[in-house]
Amino acid sequence: MRKAFTAFAAVSAMISGAAVMQLKLAVQEQADEVEVLAQQIHNDRENIRVLNAEWAYLTSPHALQEKSISFLALMPPAPKQILGSLDDIPFRIKGDAVDGDASVLLPSAMTKKKNAPKQKASKNKERAL
Amino acid sequence: MNYLSASKSQSNMFAGDLKAPTIAVARTRLMFGVFFFLVAFVVMGARTVELGMSTPITAKQTIARHIEVPATTVARADIVDRNGEALAINLKSSSLYANPKMISNPEAVAQKLNEILPSVPRAGLLQKLKSGRSFVWIKRKLTPKQKWDVNALGVPGLKFQEEEDRLYPHGRLASHVLGYVDVDGNGIAGVEHYFDDQLSNSNRSGEALQLSLDIRVQYALADELEAAMRAHRAKGAAGLVMDVNTGELLALVSMPDYDPNNISGVSDDELFNRASKGVYELGSTFKTFTFANALDDGVATLEDGYDATKPLKVARFLIRDDHPKKRYLTLPEIFAFSSNIGTAQMALDIGSDRQREFMGDLGLLNPAALELPEVGAPMYPASWRKVSTVTISYGHGIAVSPVQLATSIASVVNGGSLNAPTLVRTSAAVQSQRQVISQSTSRQMRQLLRLAVTKGTGGRADARGYRVGGKTGTAEKASGGGYDRKSLISSFVGVYPMDDPQYVVFALLDEPQGTKETFGFASGGWVAAPVVKNVIMRTAPLLGVLPKWEDEGLYQKVALMIDED
Repeated sequence: MRKAFTAFAAVSAMISGAAVMQLKLAVQEQADEVEVLAQQIHNDRENIRVLNAEWAYLTSPHALQEKSISFLALMPPAPKQILGSLDDIPFRIKGDAVDGDASVLLPSAMTKKKNAPKQKASKNKERAL
Repeated sequence: MNYLSASKSQSNMFAGDLKAPTIAVARTRLMFGVFFFLVAFVVMGARTVELGMSTPITAKQTIARHIEVPATTVARADIVDRNGEALAINLKSSSLYANPKMISNPEAVAQKLNEILPSVPRAGLLQKLKSGRSFVWIKRKLTPKQKWDVNALGVPGLKFQEEEDRLYPHGRLASHVLGYVDVDGNGIAGVEHYFDDQLSNSNRSGEALQLSLDIRVQYALADELEAAMRAHRAKGAAGLVMDVNTGELLALVSMPDYDPNNISGVSDDELFNRASKGVYELGSTFKTFTFANALDDGVATLEDGYDATKPLKVARFLIRDDHPKKRYLTLPEIFAFSSNIGTAQMALDIGSDRQREFMGDLGLLNPAALELPEVGAPMYPASWRKVSTVTISYGHGIAVSPVQLATSIASVVNGGSLNAPTLVRTSAAVQSQRQVISQSTSRQMRQLLRLAVTKGTGGRADARGYRVGGKTGTAEKASGGGYDRKSLISSFVGVYPMDDPQYVVFALLDEPQGTKETFGFASGGWVAAPVVKNVIMRTAPLLGVLPKWEDEGLYQKVALMIDED
């Protein structure tokens, strides 16, 4: 009994020792990985700064204008091209006209609202009939 | 065991009966000790298992406290515009040097380096590489691409020295605002110098300085001014765009300019900031202030008028009109046709002391409080005599910087509150505002400025739809005690939209020449007004000003008083 107990104690001490050792190594490995990642983030940030500078250089208004002239025929918008509100668009069907026209499909949320009073009205009609 | 049994038998001889219970006691005590350690190990084991099973959230939190990403430290903070676009940025750069002793075939290396770095002459390179020294600079501050290419050569004798380089991605654009730094990274001019302590403060590293500039507006203004300068063969140009309500400068241009990335061989003329350091007699644009003064003090109303039939004699000077109408002119007519005679008489009614006080209120007698080391002090007569009063009323005999003029014009049109000009992005609430003229005077001034464009001398600034108002200014340059009729300072100050002023746009050309297109004229209305018009057409959509066909009724009453003939 005593021998078995001593053996059990010895084995469990060795197993737990090994387990803790392994855990420590695993943590060490993770910590190393974290350090590498942190360094990588730092390097990436430095690179992003370089890329930002390059982006600012490549998209400076002068460079964009040169590109625009050689590849596109873009001009600054004339006042006539700029509309302040939807009402300024000519020949646009106004909101009321659309709602009244059954042939124009409206989003379901809108049609439900619109239909609700109509149903009532039709019921009233039926009663009247 | 043998020893133990021997000692047992030995102790038997001395201890006799005491032997057995003593061993039992010792064993029991030992068992206590063993049991204690066993319990301790079981507790530790259980705890280890428990930690292993615990939720990873707590584990992450403890680890997160220890992760330290090395901060990206720069010796000098970045400068960005109001939209966060980089204007000045510090980058790690590499300088290439060589150890010629380690290079076996200099000819081939020189040939390859010359392909990568075309700015380094091949002959000089070869000479350097053939020299027996152990250290020669090849090129300072390479681009990342060049560094990559050099590394790809795989020549052992080529090495890099890490340095930090101040880079201005937009080159010449906004050079006078930004200024530049010396080799050691100390700010020498512009905001680089003004904010040198803040930018190089290591405690605030990484916190970019945000300016009020909008690089797109800056470019539109610089582009138009450069085109006008070339077309009229002017010596220089200056211009600015200012937010009327906050005093923020969205653009500040001085021509000719320089590239802050490479300041070797830049002349003083290029370094000179005409927009803030240069002071000029700006001519008729000053009539705006004389009118604002007279209307605000009640010296004259818009219904009044002055006789401009013949030149006015003050002391020994004769005041003439550039566009003489030779008749009685109403106040709106005097402003729209830019009559010196009418304005001079009005100034005499205001009086010298009051005029001086009003100019002081507008901040025209003190240097502009702008965040630049290059700020010019205004020039005006020490003794403000009658003749000075007359000439200053139409902008001669007083020299101010364009920034000062724009600041004052902004206060005249924005409802009368004077904001200090600024190059740093600020919220309107921080600004200290001072009321200089009344709301109603400001409204009348807006009408007059709009009519000077629709019916007067500023017609070429009318960007249709954007309701531009403004005043032309043409002054002759002083030379040798008199004025030189050939060399002009032509300017135009515009404000838009006039029914709700938002931006002041100012353009100035130094000694422009008339061209065939302008029929030989080089006055402000011919050369500077179109610049303002083009800038407004280009930038109003960017700044969110909506074009609108205006309500003629706003100006009808005043417009009826202008008799066009």
